[in-house]
Amino acid sequence: MIFVTGPLFSGKAEYARTLCPEDELLLNAHELADGTSDLAALAEELAAKYAVITAAEVGGGIVPIDPVQRVQREAAGRLSCLLAARADAVVRVFCGIPTVIRGELP
Amino acid sequence: MFTLIVGGAASGKSRYAEDLLLRCAGGPLVYIATMEPFDGECRERIARHRAMRAGKGFRTVERYRDLANADVPAGCTALLEDVGNLTANELYGPGGAGEEAVVLGVEALFKKCHTLVVVSNDTNSGGAEYEGDTDRYLRALGNINRALAERADNVAELVCGVAVYHKGREPH
Repeated sequence: MIFVTGPLFSGKAEYARTLCPEDELLLNAHELADGTSDLAALAEELAAKYAVITAAEVGGGIVPIDPVQRVQREAAGRLSCLLAARADAVVRVFCGIPTVIRGELP
Repeated sequence: MFTLIVGGAASGKSRYAEDLLLRCAGGPLVYIATMEPFDGECRERIARHRAMRAGKGFRTVERYRDLANADVPAGCTALLEDVGNLTANELYGPGGAGEEAVVLGVEALFKKCHTLVVVSNDTNSGGAEYEGDTDRYLRALGNINRALAERADNVAELVCGVAVYHKGREPH
């Protein structure tokens, strides 16, 4: 599995589509973390099912005052770490420019 | 030569951009300021940037929107600061012409320049739960940054004052 991350609207999806067919691609995994009790199991399941997974980097900026948003962001960050740990390659897309930050692309 | 510099708040973008510009200067030096002085905080920030530029020989052109018609001398070395403000002005300000005007404006400006350094903002790593105007702004700035990065010769991310080049290299 290849894990693609980067800021919001930085071109992750566009890049990910160059790596695999649409049915092997999961976009915006950060949206799945919310309300999941077992993030490790979720990461395991997603990594087995998809060839390429994208998730936005969401941990910058101010910690949200709203506790619900705080929990969501925390979960999204943890899930990204778990996915990256299971990935053969981790790519960060910045202003549309992909950089492999760990591992190697097949 | 067109260099795009992107970074978070207070990451050292301005200082790095100014030093870079002075090192590769050819033609008259122009500083294009995009921040409209709405309040005391804006005026303080503008004063701090003016003090930083003092004695470096920049002519300051204030241009809050419609960059395409900015009055800059042909063959100049220009610093545009910054795209975050320009985007907000084009999206929300009076007479603003939207997202496209920012990219078209930078393209038109670059045609008049020998060297162009553009400072932009990384606002898009702080959560994904935005709606309405904020979502619209983040989306627009994300699109603009990508469009500018595609057109730029060099793209650097500023991290604590350190320039990390994602495309090209530091110009000399």
